[in-house]
Amino acid sequence: MGEAKKDMFNNESDEVKLDSNDREIELSPKIQDAIGRSLIAHYNDIVSSPIPDKFLLLLAELEAKEEKHGN
Amino acid sequence: MATDPKEEKRIPSSNESKVFRDKLLAEIPNLRVFAISLAYSRQNADDLVQDTLLKAWSHAASFAEGTNMKAWLFTILRNTYYSLYRKRGREVQDTDGMYSERVAVPASQDGVIDLADFRIALAKLPADQREVLIMVGATGLSYEETAAICNVAIGTVKSRVNRARTKLSELLSINGVDDIGHDKKIVSTVNTNRHVSPLT
Repeated sequence: MGEAKKDMFNNESDEVKLDSNDREIELSPKIQDAIGRSLIAHYNDIVSSPIPDKFLLLLAELEAKEEKHGN
Repeated sequence: MATDPKEEKRIPSSNESKVFRDKLLAEIPNLRVFAISLAYSRQNADDLVQDTLLKAWSHAASFAEGTNMKAWLFTILRNTYYSLYRKRGREVQDTDGMYSERVAVPASQDGVIDLADFRIALAKLPADQREVLIMVGATGLSYEETAAICNVAIGTVKSRVNRARTKLSELLSINGVDDIGHDKKIVSTVNTNRHVSPLT
């Protein structure tokens, strides 16, 4: 997929010092659960808002172009 | 279908475009969630989603059937964001405008962190931690898929997720289990206005 496949943002600089998960503090299950539920709430709030018309229009246009082009 | 499966370059039939379009459509909500975690405002996020859809469409032939469309699209979106960001010269964005839209309906209160407070805390995470937390914790990608999208090792993803959770619990003052639900304490901690570069 060309440009899309290549990672444009170089993350190498922070690799080495970040890999210390063994020494990290384990959060209590209750806190992990609270954060987990907040993430889901955040997700659900965005996902439940309607898809803007411009996206639907864009895809319809692209598809129409394709049909004209090909078959 | 006239397409030879062995042929490298697929010629899209109109049916194929429809199927592809439907798959893209189905992933738009996930793309918006991910875009918001990268691009701060919903407006910027939607521009990013739009660019992603256009790129996905023009690279449709490179999408391998049977692989994960969500992961493929997230990779495109992420690369689009970071290439744009670099072109703009790494300007430092402040977090004041991020997630500034207050939610209309507050999250249910039973020991649950207020969603608006949660988003303010989320905005203060370093960008590399926030994106993996959203990918793993909200959009349901696996550690493996997330690692591939970010082009890092799985251990790095796990480490970032752990750090993100720890940082969130600090920002929201829920280190002590009993603090959950004490709104005053949460608000006072979250309101410290610190400008954080998303790329630190």
